[in-house]
Formats: sequence, structure tokens, C-alpha cells
Amino acid sequence: MWRKVKWGLRIAVLLMVAAFLHYTLPQRDIVLVTGTYNRLTTVGANWLFYATPDVGTAESTTTRDIRFIEAVRPNDKVSVYRNEDTGWIWPPYFKYDSSNLQAEAGNLKSTKAAPQWVAVTHYGWRLPFLSIYPNAVKVKAVAGPDVTLIPWVSIIVLLALAFGLFMLRRMWLQLRERMLDPALDDVNNALDAADARADAARAQARGVWRRLIDWLGTWRSTPRR
Amino acid sequence: MIGLVYLVVFGLLGLSLVYLLVSVYSRSVRREKLEKRFDAGDGEGDRDAYIEAGMKAYQHGLRRRLIWLVYIIPIVVVGVTIYLVNY
Repeated sequence: MWRKVKWGLRIAVLLMVAAFLHYTLPQRDIVLVTGTYNRLTTVGANWLFYATPDVGTAESTTTRDIRFIEAVRPNDKVSVYRNEDTGWIWPPYFKYDSSNLQAEAGNLKSTKAAPQWVAVTHYGWRLPFLSIYPNAVKVKAVAGPDVTLIPWVSIIVLLALAFGLFMLRRMWLQLRERMLDPALDDVNNALDAADARADAARAQARGVWRRLIDWLGTWRSTPRR
Repeated sequence: MIGLVYLVVFGLLGLSLVYLLVSVYSRSVRREKLEKRFDAGDGEGDRDAYIEAGMKAYQHGLRRRLIWLVYIIPIVVVGVTIYLVNY
């Protein structure tokens, strides 16, 4: 039972970390840009998936003018990206050139008849139910829909995270070996010594006390039948 | 722009914490290595003196200075990110 609960918790934490990384790390789609526009958008309960109000492009917490980029993927399905500054804290893209990006995306617009394929770097998810959009970070013209793009940034970030976790574990083990275990040994030895003394004292006290009780017992009258 | 101030202040605080942890860890590893080296019969004379001499050498060595990379690497990464995303 407890084993199952423990494993369930572990898997839940792992899934949350994976989802968080999948949301935050950059991905690249190869698309045709078909439209760029601004739309007044009301941000409500889904505020977590929009820019924080203190960055350049987000003037208000509720209703703001957001730039969007519409695109078509090679399989004819559509993608819609928002184009907002990220600010300086999270996610750490430090993007403050949304206006330029919008102009570049407009410049790369094309049709299926004369396609100009574009790699759109973005993070985030498109969930129509919550009205949330991935945030486009960069657009770049590419030769065709089949070019191979190696996700260097994700590789480097994941390796760095793994290295950080590995070092944290090494540091914890070193701390335990050099500081905590010797200190605990000292405490345990002291406790053992104190225990032994207490036992001896208790044994001695019991001896005195028992003798006193026995002596008092001699004064007690024997119970009558 | 207030966001940039937050980033610099809290970023430097966080990096200082990392620097502290890494330098304590590095000293501890070095001391352990010296102890083991002496116990293997590598040094002569007093054990404490041998270890203190080794720690003094570490204090002026390259390895301790390399811990400054804890500050340098993230700052360079942020700079490169800003450049690649915006220019």
C-alpha cells in the first residue's frame, strides 16, 4: 500500500517536472507564416500562460493588445503563436523585441503556391480550451519543410540540469560523511554514556527505595480474614 | 525595467549561495584527499601540519580560482541568450 503511494507520488512529481520542462524549453516548428495581427485579448484565469504585467508588451493585467502570428504546418494543420515580451525573470528568454519579431514574421509571409518555409522557435503550448498560445521567440527562413534542426539549447540545458543534480547529490553525501555522521556519532556516544549512568543510578535508587518500602511494609498489619 | 533590477539582485544572491556551497564542498574534498594521502604513507612528519600545508597550497591554487566560474558562466549564458533572442 505505502509502496504504491510512494511510487505514485514519485511518478506524479516526475510528470510535473517533465511537463514544466516541455513547456519552458524552446521548440522549433517549420511552418508557412500566413498572417500577423494584433488582437485585444482578455487575460483571466489563464494569466499564468501570458506575460506578466510588468513587461513591455503587457500594459494591463486583464485586457491587452497582443500580437499573434498565424502559420500552417507542412501537414496542413495550423499553429497560432502569441508574440509577447518575456521580461527578465521567467521564463528566462529575456525577449524584448516583439515588435521586431512581428515585422520579421510579416516579412516572411507566403502562400502555398510560392512557399517560404520558416522555422519558428517558441516555447509553451497551444490549448484552445484554455485559450493559451505558445510564445514565438524567433523566426528564421529555412530551405524546406524537411531540414533537420538539432535542439542544441534543450540538450545543453538538460545536461546542465543533470550535472547540477549530480553535484548536489555529491555535495550532500560529502556533507553527511564529513559533518553529519561524525556529529551524530558523538551525540550517540554521549547519549549512550548518559544512558548507562542513568541506568546505574536508577538501579541504585531502586535498591534504596525498595529497602525503604520493605521496611515500611513491616509496619503494615496483615490483612484480616 | 524593474525586472532587470530584480534579475541582477536576486541572480547575484543565488549565485553567491551556489559559490559558497561549492567552495565549502571543494575544501572538504581537498581535505579528505590530503588525509587519505597522508594515511597511505605519502607524507612525513606531523599529520595536522601536512594537511594544513596542503590546504594552504589549495588556497593559492588554480582550482579554488576556478570556482569563480560559478559567477562567470551564468552571466555569459544570460548575455548570449539576450543577444541570440533579440539581435
